[in-house]
Amino acid sequence: MRRLLLFIIGILLWGGATAQERTKHDWVRDGIDIPEVAVYGNRPIKEIGTQQTKFDSLALKENIALSMADVLTFNSSIFVKSYGRATLSTVSFRGTSPSHTQVSWNGMKINNPMLGMTDFSMIPSYFIDDASLLHGTSSVNETGGGLGGAVKLSTKPAQADGFGLQYIQGIGSFKTFDEFLRLTYGNDHWQVSTRAVYSSSPNEYKYRNHDKKINIYDEDMNIVEQYYPIERNRSGSYKDLHLLQEVYYNTGKGDRLGLNAWYINSNRELAMLTVDHGSDTDFDNRQREKTFRGVLSWDHIRESWKLSAKGGYIYTWMAYDYKRDVGNGTMAHMTRSRSRINTFYGQVDGEYYIGSKWLFTANLSLHQHIVESEDKNIVRQDGNKAIVGYRKGRPELSGSISAKWRPIDRFGVSMVLREEMFGTEWTPLIPALFVDGVLSTKGNIIAKASVSRNYRFPTLNDLYFLPGGNPDLRSESGWTYDGGISFAVGKEGIYSLSGSATWFESFIKDWIIWLPTPKGFFSPENIKDVHAYGVELKGDLNVALSKEWQLGLNGTFSWTPSINVGEPRTPADKSVGKQLPYVPELSSTVSGRLSWRGWSFHYKWCYYSERFTMSSNDISLTGKLPPYFMSNIALEKSLHFKWADLSLKGTINNLFNEEYLSVLSRPMPGINFGIFIGITPKW
Amino acid sequence: MARIFVRLILLATTLLTTSCMKWEYGIEEPFDTSASGKGLFICNEGNFQYGNATLSYYDPATKSVQNEVFYRSNAMKLGDVAQSMIIRNGIGWVVVNNSHVVFAIDINTFKEVGRITNLTSPRYIHFISDDKAYITQIWDNRIFIVNPKRYEITGYIEVPNMTMEQGSTEQMVQYGKYLYVNCWSYQNRIIKIDTETDQVVDELVVGIQPTSLVMDCNNKLWTVTDGGYEGSPYGHEAPSLYRIDAESFTIEQQFKFNFGDWPSEVQLNGTKDKIYWLNDDVWEMDVTADRVPVRPFLPYNGTLYYGLTVCPRTGDVYIADAIDYVQQGMVYRYSKDRELIDSFYVGIIPGAFCWK
Repeated sequence: MRRLLLFIIGILLWGGATAQERTKHDWVRDGIDIPEVAVYGNRPIKEIGTQQTKFDSLALKENIALSMADVLTFNSSIFVKSYGRATLSTVSFRGTSPSHTQVSWNGMKINNPMLGMTDFSMIPSYFIDDASLLHGTSSVNETGGGLGGAVKLSTKPAQADGFGLQYIQGIGSFKTFDEFLRLTYGNDHWQVSTRAVYSSSPNEYKYRNHDKKINIYDEDMNIVEQYYPIERNRSGSYKDLHLLQEVYYNTGKGDRLGLNAWYINSNRELAMLTVDHGSDTDFDNRQREKTFRGVLSWDHIRESWKLSAKGGYIYTWMAYDYKRDVGNGTMAHMTRSRSRINTFYGQVDGEYYIGSKWLFTANLSLHQHIVESEDKNIVRQDGNKAIVGYRKGRPELSGSISAKWRPIDRFGVSMVLREEMFGTEWTPLIPALFVDGVLSTKGNIIAKASVSRNYRFPTLNDLYFLPGGNPDLRSESGWTYDGGISFAVGKEGIYSLSGSATWFESFIKDWIIWLPTPKGFFSPENIKDVHAYGVELKGDLNVALSKEWQLGLNGTFSWTPSINVGEPRTPADKSVGKQLPYVPELSSTVSGRLSWRGWSFHYKWCYYSERFTMSSNDISLTGKLPPYFMSNIALEKSLHFKWADLSLKGTINNLFNEEYLSVLSRPMPGINFGIFIGITPKW
Repeated sequence: MARIFVRLILLATTLLTTSCMKWEYGIEEPFDTSASGKGLFICNEGNFQYGNATLSYYDPATKSVQNEVFYRSNAMKLGDVAQSMIIRNGIGWVVVNNSHVVFAIDINTFKEVGRITNLTSPRYIHFISDDKAYITQIWDNRIFIVNPKRYEITGYIEVPNMTMEQGSTEQMVQYGKYLYVNCWSYQNRIIKIDTETDQVVDELVVGIQPTSLVMDCNNKLWTVTDGGYEGSPYGHEAPSLYRIDAESFTIEQQFKFNFGDWPSEVQLNGTKDKIYWLNDDVWEMDVTADRVPVRPFLPYNGTLYYGLTVCPRTGDVYIADAIDYVQQGMVYRYSKDRELIDSFYVGIIPGAFCWK
């Protein structure tokens, strides 16, 4: 490991020694942009009262090996529940469950319609050019069902002029290889981009297993010694391929056409638990996925109005195989489940401005899902074969209209009305009201407040999964309120400082939870009412310390009590009034970047308070998830030659080699390293 | 500029030197319950895939409970989904389903004395002799034969007409040299094994998914089916309780429940002349009865009954309430006269009991 670290440092020093002297223009071009602080009059009317977190390209494009789960972990107040490295990563937004966060990619919802949630470990951040979080009520502007909020992901034209190529190779600990290639072509009208990411690793990181001991026996099979073994992350390999093709055409006369097509081919083993006493050679536990997502878009823009139309399609094939060696290397299926999802998508949006004081918008989207789920092959009582599963289709229609009014520069109000239909069920009208106002032009102090109702329909698995699906489930529903204040000060090219504080409160009824049944399977029920509330703080500082030194700091802090306020389930129930399990009450992130000439140093830190594993919030010896801090650093050097730009980067993750868990029995990797070499030829 | 750097360094130092989380090691705690006489072990399944199964120990004489005794005694986790436990010759055998292991523990100190590993998905263990035992499995069409003295797998009994994917063998009851096993998940039969040849020699079709198996004082086997579930391609029917003559291996009587009922957990009292089961309420019936009683032994009172046992000495009835399945469950102890004697919290999802 030390040799690898020395190698990284050596590469970086070599890079520094051979770099050409940079011009004054370079640091301005490559350093941190310190934008002019937006004056209150320039606040977009479209965003009146919304609580939004936007991720800049530096956070998204920091490292080709990052997934959106990593970006959210270190740059937002969202709690990411990770089951391991390159393993399922779900989010808890404002203390809600993973299916309460709606996720869209270029406008199309990509939440799994069977499960409701999104696995953020399957979204490479290098494929995302624009990402933002819509907190709580603000998600109603885009979609329904976001009881916690929404994550908007999209791609953008590369703004290429002629042909361009970028290739980055990454090599890291645990025999991890990451490769990224991007080809671009652009002119006044056309922008074409092809991106590919391939990541693979046996992922066999070592850890001291605190959960189990190895026995040493004497000849009579008496235990003479026990010890905590150093184990590898067994059965955790992965191979992920992502391809993204984009074509944009701009008429230059107010019409833009776009095509985005994203293909995923993933093959991941599911790592064994720390308490598994089986042999990894005897079992094969694997999940495979092939997904295609395509979106065609058309924007028609005029001076006072805009019309957009989108059409899209998603195909997902997922396979889960759990096999056992029954002798002679023959692997027999214990579980063989398959699912296929076809989603057809269409959307139209319209915007109409009346002067600078009024904006009216309307939106209608349709997602038609057709799902086949095959969970088990069985032989029936009559001897014929059968498959345990279901086939269902469901249209999901969502429409909204809004009116946004800014009578004076310092005040704005926005009203949104949304209506949704899932299958044949309609939600009641979903209203949302937003206001904002400038309290002081000095410091750009802006106050915002919003209120909305919201509903989330049960997922297809909630309703129909065999065994256990519950067709009698009710929709989850809730009211959310938030209010906050923000400021922004700065001087262009010198510094910018901004911050915000937001208070929020949500009441969610009929929360759906899957519970075991006496029949040995799980089944969902509407069992909880939840009061989630808290405070979110954000801060951002960019400073040009000198012409050559630049500093960027970004921090978040969240306090998110998420309390079960339902009725006791049985007389012995101790969960009422307690924090929901696996939702941290406190979380915080800090990321910093210091740049000097072509060098930049990145530091990322996150903190999660203790997560309870029991609804009663009792802490047991076997169910403990203490708080943890995580620190990652990276050092990067850009080299500029006449023939190409080069970038060299070394990263250290889990800097202090913490032994930690995000989920019980799922150890996370200790300190690990990576080096990345990128080249962008100049044609 | 210098001041800014000093502040930055101070900030960074504060962040870097803040204490960090440690994945803790346990501490081995000494136990000796040999003086307490008869006690009750409770297997708490824990949540599937979270590895938080635990073992509790209750002393009925002092009404005291000790939770997480396996972890506290051994400084390691019991594992993922503690399914069942039996005791033989002072050794407790705890079957931990999704950890692919059966632990052998000293029943007084809770210390591990050995383990059988690399099982497919173990459910129950039954001793044929001191050096031969059977372990049933789910998702495997084989019953594993083990040597408990050497903690070794020595062979397999392949169950006819059962695929690996649909494999399910459960509880075992011995009558003479024959062993009877109920086949549960997507199955409908009781199989009969000759323990001398380790071969399945017969089978008896009952209803859909027989969940448990016991043998009364008259050598009658009792099993209850759960009837499957709505939409199951294997079928969905009204569940039934069956009385089966072990000698002739034929059904003597079938007691039908209502469609949609979920009976489970057939248990016997100490003299094996009464059976008990769960079906929302707790039910009791003489083993010679011709019909199911009209009124339950203990009516449903808002608890989610998940486990059941009867003290073989006093006849006290213990019922486990899993509550919401993600907190410590509660065990209620009733006298045979239906008086509540005690209640105590145990681990997550208390599902199986074992008397010392």
